[in-house]
Amino acid sequence: MRTTCPYCGVGCQVEPMVQGGRIVQVLAPDIPPNHGALCVKGRFGLDFPFSGKRLLYPMVRESRKEPFRRVSWDEALDFAAQRLLEVFRKRGPEGLAVFPSAKTTNEEVYLAQKLARALLETNNVDHCSRLCHSSSTAALSRSLGGASMTNPIEDIWKTDLFLVVGSNTTETHPVIGAMIKKRVRQGAKLIVVDPRYTGMAEAATLWLRPHPGTDLFLFNAMARYILEEGLWDQGYVEERTEGFAEWRASVEGYTLEEAERITGVKRENIALAARLYATTERAGVYWAMGLTQHTKGTATVQALVNLALLTGKVGEEGAGLNPLRGQNNVQGAGDMGGLPDVLPGYRKVADQEARKRFENLWGVTLNPKPGLRMTEIFEGIPEVEAIYLIGEDPVTSEPYQDHLKAKLEALPFLIVQDILENETTPFAHVVLPAASFLEKEGTFTNTDRRVQRVRKILNPPGEARPDWWIIQELGKRLAQGLGRPWTLYSRPEGIWEEVRRAVPEMMGGITYRRLEEEGVRWPCPKEDHPGEAVLFREGFNTPSGRARFIPVHFTPPAETPSEEYPLTLSTGRVLYHWHGGTLSRNSRLQEAYPELKVEVNPKDAQRLGIQDGEVVQVVSRRGRIRAKAWVTDRTPEGVVYAPFHFAEAPANRLTLNALDPISRIPEYKVSAVRLEKLD
Amino acid sequence: MRLNVNGQEVEAKEGALLLELVDVPTLCHHPHTETHGLCRLCLVEVEGRLVPACATQATEGMVVRTDTETLRSFRKTLLEWLALSTDLSLAPGLEELLLAYGADPGRWGEMPLTRKGRAPIRDNPFFLRDYAKCVNCRRCVDACGDGIMGVYALTLEGRGLLAHPTTPLDRPLPETPCVFCGNCVQVCPTGALRPLSLEV
Ligand code: SF4
Ligand code: SF4
Ligand code: SF4
Ligand code: FES
Repeated sequence: MRTTCPYCGVGCQVEPMVQGGRIVQVLAPDIPPNHGALCVKGRFGLDFPFSGKRLLYPMVRESRKEPFRRVSWDEALDFAAQRLLEVFRKRGPEGLAVFPSAKTTNEEVYLAQKLARALLETNNVDHCSRLCHSSSTAALSRSLGGASMTNPIEDIWKTDLFLVVGSNTTETHPVIGAMIKKRVRQGAKLIVVDPRYTGMAEAATLWLRPHPGTDLFLFNAMARYILEEGLWDQGYVEERTEGFAEWRASVEGYTLEEAERITGVKRENIALAARLYATTERAGVYWAMGLTQHTKGTATVQALVNLALLTGKVGEEGAGLNPLRGQNNVQGAGDMGGLPDVLPGYRKVADQEARKRFENLWGVTLNPKPGLRMTEIFEGIPEVEAIYLIGEDPVTSEPYQDHLKAKLEALPFLIVQDILENETTPFAHVVLPAASFLEKEGTFTNTDRRVQRVRKILNPPGEARPDWWIIQELGKRLAQGLGRPWTLYSRPEGIWEEVRRAVPEMMGGITYRRLEEEGVRWPCPKEDHPGEAVLFREGFNTPSGRARFIPVHFTPPAETPSEEYPLTLSTGRVLYHWHGGTLSRNSRLQEAYPELKVEVNPKDAQRLGIQDGEVVQVVSRRGRIRAKAWVTDRTPEGVVYAPFHFAEAPANRLTLNALDPISRIPEYKVSAVRLEKLD
Repeated sequence: MRLNVNGQEVEAKEGALLLELVDVPTLCHHPHTETHGLCRLCLVEVEGRLVPACATQATEGMVVRTDTETLRSFRKTLLEWLALSTDLSLAPGLEELLLAYGADPGRWGEMPLTRKGRAPIRDNPFFLRDYAKCVNCRRCVDACGDGIMGVYALTLEGRGLLAHPTTPLDRPLPETPCVFCGNCVQVCPTGALRPLSLEV
């Protein structure tokens, strides 16, 4: 039976064959978005639901000093509801937070944020995309009034030039990476901007290797050069944008000479990249976390947006601005309102009209005050007294791990709802065992806005239940306690029907029946509407209908190398693993990549006397981890690279929680470290 | 554009492959990997010449025959040789074809040099390479290379009857650029490449 891959945002369609209680083979059907292709995770990494680490029974305890007690669902839910109500009565909406998950279905995210907003009156709702693309969301929303890929994945076949920035596409979105590489073999050009020599850099026509955290300077310099050479799209800028004059003045200081000095990229190459991008009509930009996870992440994405507007690349086929979303359902989690400042469909919480729509639909009054963002919620402990955590493992994914652990220690009440035991489970008071993607119905929305079905292929093990059922049952108890309305649904399709009514302009035309064959892209207002492929062909979603240029300026990273910490640490992922590793390391993938390796440039290795394969310590101001050194020139001199998938050697013990002022994303990509040999 | 297939007038779009218009068995052809023209199983007769339907474009007025005596006996022989040289036990589609064409591999006697004796290669955590079952269709090579991945971890070594797919210099897969996407496994028509999870 056909379902959707639970790893990355490409949203590949998979057909797992289950026999004798295990997956024997995974094939891919010949439909979008992957048309028969898969990567190693979708092909061989879907067996984590069979892991011995599955949470099988509800468990509770009064305090962290006690061991967990196995209890019935009723007892666990009653206990959780009662404690949440106590906090609500004592501290009000500000004292609670709900984290939906970008790994659960649209229906489940919708229900979780509804529980927070309609029952607990709080907008303290956020999820892990805070930590990946919140910078993109912020910059794109400000400029275009939308925050998703502007172009569909299929446009890759129509693109003549790719500008891929800070995205290790062949490892993090492998099926898209393979498509881009194939298009390049057919003759398209590929410009890659990345400090690391990735699979994309290897395939590139032109590879620019800036110092970490300097891309903003590079893009501003490209824009200035394009202006100077008269290569910009004057007609487009006049008709479709605003704020140009002011922005133009802001790039004055970004000369090629300065750019070369700051970024370390030769000025001829910056000029060449600018010229190629500006003069190729079908030129698309693709980016990921290399750009966003900085204290100036939003500004950096903004610089890229400005560049695309200057050259008229938004709203055209085979071009556009394309943030590659990480988790399987990051797009959907945002669409469904899993964010502190917006309701489903990105309607602002602060906007009375928007609230009215949901007040009518849900039969409650809503809190107009936008909630706290994920990073702020953790900082807000112990004023934030209770957190309902669904399918997230912040201990592995948040920066500066020791600090976060101390915060969680101080949190009076934590509900962890998940499929597998992870690093955060030991901090819980209530553990609610959830069903995996193979064991429930629903939808995920992939990176190019395609809503796709998730289908039940297996029964959940033990007493595990689908997230939507758990949220619904908890909501029922809260609603009783508060005397508020709460709708019950017999299956996810009912929840989806409510979503269609809630955001008809976006999802109105998307029915489960239509999704039988293949996914449908939003916006899709009517059932006979095919779903929109390219956004902003006519106008932008801003009040004026024009896209906004917004000036942004370069600032150095929060922490720069010093004598004591002379190297720059960059974190990221590897092909074989996924985020905190909770899923991938409980699957066959673990065998292919069992332990942490840090990439060290041969020159640094030689200076420090480090051999390839030797075990070393990576030390920052915040902590130290052990890792195997992988001596390779994939990483530039002065930079070490560590994937963050390994709980026993968590790279995020080293990272700092310096945040972007707008998106509040942490600067995972730059922290100062040193390498120590072990004696 | 019109052409004549087995005496019938057929309408076709400019640039269509003969394979889209006729019903013949195929083995090497695969739309995703763009593999074609190797196995000769899809041969058809065009004006007295034998051409592979999967690698020939239809043209105006073309006269095509797909089921002549020559073709049938050619396919039968081809299938018999495949069965003699290769272990087809995991290729039910091919075994059906053998039946359909009344193939009798035994009439050729024993083959001196066959793939059948080769031991499976198990060099990675994900899939087997069991070349005793390989028919040299090249789909895996194309899936890994130009067709899908652009990784080129597999190549065809040797010539003619001795040709076989493997890694460059026969190195274990983990020592090649292989990314274990398994796209080669999905397109392999004979089970020569198969997931370890299928093994009990
Ligand atoms: S590319 Fe992403 S969605 Fe596709 S199989 Fe790999 S992990 Fe799954
Ligand atoms: S699994 Fe390895 S050999 Fe097979 S197609 Fe993928 S990269 Fe190539
Ligand atoms: S291994 Fe499979 S796909 Fe590759 S040539 Fe042999 S039969 Fe064809
Ligand atoms: S299918 Fe046409 S030659 Fe193999």
